[in-house]
Amino acid sequence: MEIRIKELSKYYYSDGKTIKALDNISLTIPGNRIFTLLGPSGCGKTTLLRCIVGLETPDSGEIIIGDEIVWCGKKGINVPTEKRGLAMVFQTYAIWPHMNVYNNVAYPLQIKNVPNEEIRKRVEKTLRFVKLEGFEKRPATNISGGQQQRVALARALIAEPKVILFDEPLSNLDAKLREETRKELRNFLSELKITAVYVTHDQIEALALSDIIAVMNSGYIVEIGSPRQIYFNATHQFVADFIGRANLIKAIVKSQQENHTIVDSELGTFICQKRDFPVGSKVILCIRPEFIYLKGDKVSEEQNIITGQIENLIFIGEAYEGEISIGNERLMIKIESESSLKKDDTANFVVSAEHCLLVLD
Amino acid sequence: MNKSTKVTLILIIIVGFLTVCPVIMLILGSFSRGLSAFGAFTLDKYIAAYTDPDFARIINNTIIFVLGSSFLATLLSLFLAYLNNRTDIPCKFLFRVISITPMMIPHILFSVSWVLLLNPSNGIFNLILKQVFGLENSPFNIYSLWGMILVEGLLDMPIAYLIIAPAMASFDVNLEESSRVFGANTWRTLVRITLPVLRPAILAAFILCIVRCMASFAVPSVIGMPGRIYVLATHIYQTISVGFAVDYGKAAAIGMSVLVTSLILILLYRYLTAASEKYVTISSRGYRPTVIELKRAKIPLFFVLGLLLFVLIVLPVLVLIYTSLIPYTMVPSVRAFSMMSLRHWYAVIKDPISILSLKNSLFLGIFGATLGVILSIFVAYTIVRIRTKMSVILESLSFLSFSFPGIVIGVGFMWFFVRTPIYATIWALLIGYIATYLPYGIRPLSSAFIQIHKHLEESSRVCGAKSLTTMRRIIIPLLIPGIVSGWILMATIFLRELSLSVVLSRPGSEVLAVQILRFAGDGLWGRLSALGIIMILISTSLVALVNFIGAKLKP
Repeated sequence: MEIRIKELSKYYYSDGKTIKALDNISLTIPGNRIFTLLGPSGCGKTTLLRCIVGLETPDSGEIIIGDEIVWCGKKGINVPTEKRGLAMVFQTYAIWPHMNVYNNVAYPLQIKNVPNEEIRKRVEKTLRFVKLEGFEKRPATNISGGQQQRVALARALIAEPKVILFDEPLSNLDAKLREETRKELRNFLSELKITAVYVTHDQIEALALSDIIAVMNSGYIVEIGSPRQIYFNATHQFVADFIGRANLIKAIVKSQQENHTIVDSELGTFICQKRDFPVGSKVILCIRPEFIYLKGDKVSEEQNIITGQIENLIFIGEAYEGEISIGNERLMIKIESESSLKKDDTANFVVSAEHCLLVLD
Repeated sequence: MNKSTKVTLILIIIVGFLTVCPVIMLILGSFSRGLSAFGAFTLDKYIAAYTDPDFARIINNTIIFVLGSSFLATLLSLFLAYLNNRTDIPCKFLFRVISITPMMIPHILFSVSWVLLLNPSNGIFNLILKQVFGLENSPFNIYSLWGMILVEGLLDMPIAYLIIAPAMASFDVNLEESSRVFGANTWRTLVRITLPVLRPAILAAFILCIVRCMASFAVPSVIGMPGRIYVLATHIYQTISVGFAVDYGKAAAIGMSVLVTSLILILLYRYLTAASEKYVTISSRGYRPTVIELKRAKIPLFFVLGLLLFVLIVLPVLVLIYTSLIPYTMVPSVRAFSMMSLRHWYAVIKDPISILSLKNSLFLGIFGATLGVILSIFVAYTIVRIRTKMSVILESLSFLSFSFPGIVIGVGFMWFFVRTPIYATIWALLIGYIATYLPYGIRPLSSAFIQIHKHLEESSRVCGAKSLTTMRRIIIPLLIPGIVSGWILMATIFLRELSLSVVLSRPGSEVLAVQILRFAGDGLWGRLSALGIIMILISTSLVALVNFIGAKLKP
């Protein structure tokens, strides 16, 4: 089911200042996809989610879920949360501590007065789906964080809602469990063909889980695209910088070729991905450390060569992370962990044109 | 105006009436010519109150009494909190007993038991010492400032403990450890790091004790008055009850200074507790505070703890039971035991006023606490959840009564009730009790609300549950521990209430504590003890019963 958001605004007032939590946002969340709102804390992503579910009241605009207007400032429509027929997984899981696993999961059906026999069957089925069969009688507080997370998911799934909302559901798990749960969640959701709106500040989680990512910053949406688009072809500096790590270098467009754009920078001339900037305009050249390779024997025409001195190298297991200096500039690099380079060595690196991204200053 | 604003406004009106009304009536009353000439402006009462030749001595007594007992209470509780949280002293559950049980032994009974033990004419302990050492005179006289300080200090110790102990427990032990790393020994670390970091909590406890001591009526009336040592509370009491010139205007004028001092101290207390929360860092990592090994000091310190426990809980109950069974005060002996009978108990049961006071107190305890808790649920919800400017007003209003000295606020209410039909009825007491002790219901409930994460409620709404269903299935079940402790606190306070009741209780609306005070005045120690034991039994069984129901309701 599709969710359409039109010119939605929400302001907070504190200490006499107005904070724009949502600044005139218009957005269409397509049905049956995993849609992620990604952004730093305080960018408004959770506020947007809470406006969709109805736990927060916007100041103006319109929210349409499917064919139903659930909130409209002008028409004075405000469908209460409990009538919106959505499901949500909270950051804290919001597992009710005074109920056992069964009652937690059965709750949405009990509210709808579904016959007990059917509730029993569906709880059983849902718990099997989230791999928690046999946990029915356990007190909800007596299970691990990962299991609580799955109880919350089961509770969200059981009423077969049109849309499930996720508010940073993995942020309370430790690193390893987070990775496992992320994979599981991806499997569950793709099996279900359901509209999922997912809020996170973790870019890896967003890249791994989503069909579509919307990157948010201070109350507005900066860019929307598939994970690959966002990672490789960002159009905004904020997005390039926020997703992964990136060297951001000031540059000026020198000339336009058929398939490439040539820029000048402190590091020299670079052949970059084609972008339609006029010659002479100021841009930012964005190079991710993981795409800077040590120079091999062959260098193609579409590769840039950088000669730099190694300033520092830190062994992080799977690779070396470090910095090289080229004149006064410094670049972050990431090279394979078997490399024999050491501090103060001078070496040649290459980066191909498709990984030289130009974004607006 | 939406629903939550409306609810907040209604609560502000109710709580505002309960807390502001007695204060305004006290102010107006202090400027009036008399109960029957309300509003006729005069300064005479202030002049009469503050030019009284005895006034300087009374103020002097009050200051010594209040500071002395607060100091004793704070010091004792600091010692106990440190022992409990920081040392390897055995039987740590005893600390919990020390901190809760005094709630079940009413202050007036505790004071009476000390009078029975240490009064100069026939105090049991004095009699024993005289016999054993062949002394001419009694070695101890409880009817002195020192006696008052000792008893009041012991009584207020649990309050100070309840503030200091959590601060001590949540103290980030890394602060101490780093001091040790830099070479300071245990003692130096305690003096240079631990105590300074805990200073706001310690000061807060001290200030709260001062407020409580100023409001205290049991000790000054039972121990102070027989020794002709008057403090402000008993001075006010004397002005309105003794002799022929009952003067509520003068009482109000004296009360004003007590109320203003209390208010200032409570504001200071509030500021300090906010500061202590900022100051004392609770480390989120699961940590275990380093426990100091007591080694050779273990046995003597444990003995001190045992002695305190004995003196605070066992001794008063034993003395009361003993006194209720013997015909007149005598040293425990074979003869005393052979003379034991239930005659004082029969006398109490046949005494219509005792029975009436029992009924009244039970009604006030059960019905009053229920009403108070219901009001507290709404107020706590508004304060914790609906955080608007109006709910901040509500919070301040409800906090105001925390400073109310019972007898002073009783005088304020007197000026009000005299003008209404509920004067001299049990309803006057009910309103007065709830007004004065509302914070004791709000506190446990608001901390219960804080513990219920907002998401638990929201999640239920997302699942399709209406507000009432959410209330019934999620909020109330999670709130039960808070409701239970709020109810117990209010019920036990109401059951033993004295200082407000001595002003508002009239023939027909007698309550237990007032009846006990009357027995003490008449020297009917046997009957007093029998009624006192009944009182302790009732409050203990109420606590047990409610705890039981609470445990049953908890899934």
